[in-house]
Amino acid sequence: MRNMGNADQELIRRVLAGEKDAYGLLVSAHSEAVFRVAYRITENEADADEVVQETFLRGYRALDRFDSRANFKTWIYRIGVNCALDARKARQKAGAVAIAEEFEEEQVAVQLADREAGPERILLDREIEGRRRKAMERMTESERTAFVLRHMEGSSMEEIAAVLGVEPNTAKQAVFRAVQKLRRSLAPLWVKA
Amino acid sequence: MKHLNEEELVELYYESRDAQADEQGSNLHMNHVLAEKHMQQCEACATAYDGLARVLASAEGEPVPERGAEYGAQVWQAIRSSLPVYEPKRRHIWAMWPRWAYAMAGILLLAGTFYAGKIWERTHTTTVAQNARQGRERVVLFVLDGHLDRSERLLVQLSHAADDPGAKSETVSLPLQSEARQLLADNRLYRQSVAQAKDPLLAGALDHLERVLVEVANSPDDLSTADVEQMEKELNTDGLLFEIRVLRARVADQAKERSGAIDRGRTTL
Repeated sequence: MRNMGNADQELIRRVLAGEKDAYGLLVSAHSEAVFRVAYRITENEADADEVVQETFLRGYRALDRFDSRANFKTWIYRIGVNCALDARKARQKAGAVAIAEEFEEEQVAVQLADREAGPERILLDREIEGRRRKAMERMTESERTAFVLRHMEGSSMEEIAAVLGVEPNTAKQAVFRAVQKLRRSLAPLWVKA
Repeated sequence: MKHLNEEELVELYYESRDAQADEQGSNLHMNHVLAEKHMQQCEACATAYDGLARVLASAEGEPVPERGAEYGAQVWQAIRSSLPVYEPKRRHIWAMWPRWAYAMAGILLLAGTFYAGKIWERTHTTTVAQNARQGRERVVLFVLDGHLDRSERLLVQLSHAADDPGAKSETVSLPLQSEARQLLADNRLYRQSVAQAKDPLLAGALDHLERVLVEVANSPDDLSTADVEQMEKELNTDGLLFEIRVLRARVADQAKERSGAIDRGRTTL
């Protein structure tokens, strides 16, 4: 990790010294990770690809303001998260958010066995995915980002805090609130065996 | 027994996942170990944890679409043309100087300041000393001028006594004897001081004055005007009076000069 950080610092120094193509190496090293986060937030493949490009464009233009003591990965993640949230908002404004179905909270819990295969399992998966998306909709931007990074990317609380620009305890609270919202939405689907 | 709350269960869930990812489990916190131990004994907490784990495990979402090994290169090619080249920042001439040059400049500046301070201190000390010396000389001149003034008045009175046309044969009273005695004591001191100052004119005049003062101080009470006239001639008091007037003028000039020098010294401080 330390060597990776040093390698990034060296590449940044070369870019700022006029060697533009050194930035290509930074893009290669971090683009997939940025894509993953962007996809988790936008939940749209095309949007995520655009977010990745926009992220590295913004990153390049702001590179001369990059604090050499900071971690480039965290820094570019932060830009990526902001770009992804912007893209998500833009899509929502356009009214094109792809939500599989509308779900009512008061709807009677669908009592299905969780390990059953076949059409019932497919139905349950669709139900779960729909409720998960609904719960993600209800999360605030910081809750959604914190949850994506913690739950889906396995980031540490310190990394999440750095991306959000908050204290680790605040990041921890954001994850907890996100989980609560998710649990409220998904719990009715599960019944005791 | 205190049960684990929801927040602690969430924390336990993610820490367990981290520990699975890290095969050595070195990231496990002591609280995590205690919480796991608690759940082994507490069925309620174990059930709550299972429920949470089931919900969270189902919330992984759709798998992220794979991006090939060339993805980074593709992204780079897509944005490369729209990126300007950073121009290397020109380093200022002073930024190219090695650090030791700055250190040397600092030392030179410090040394310069030190020597400037020393020179200023020396000048300041000299000026103060000069002023003190000039002040002392001014006091001496002032006192000497007083002495010469008193001596001049005594000689004038002596001269008037001798010149009184109606009292040629009569006995004259000389109230100047006591004054002469006082002046004589002072005069001896001044004469000795002036002898060291190598001022022949003043030294000669004070020597002459002392002889006159001795004569006047020791003169008898029934001294006639003729005797006074004789004493004047013998001691040449008219000449002495002239000398004293010249000296007084010179002393006044010197006192004025010293006073001006002190004022100039104060201005420069």
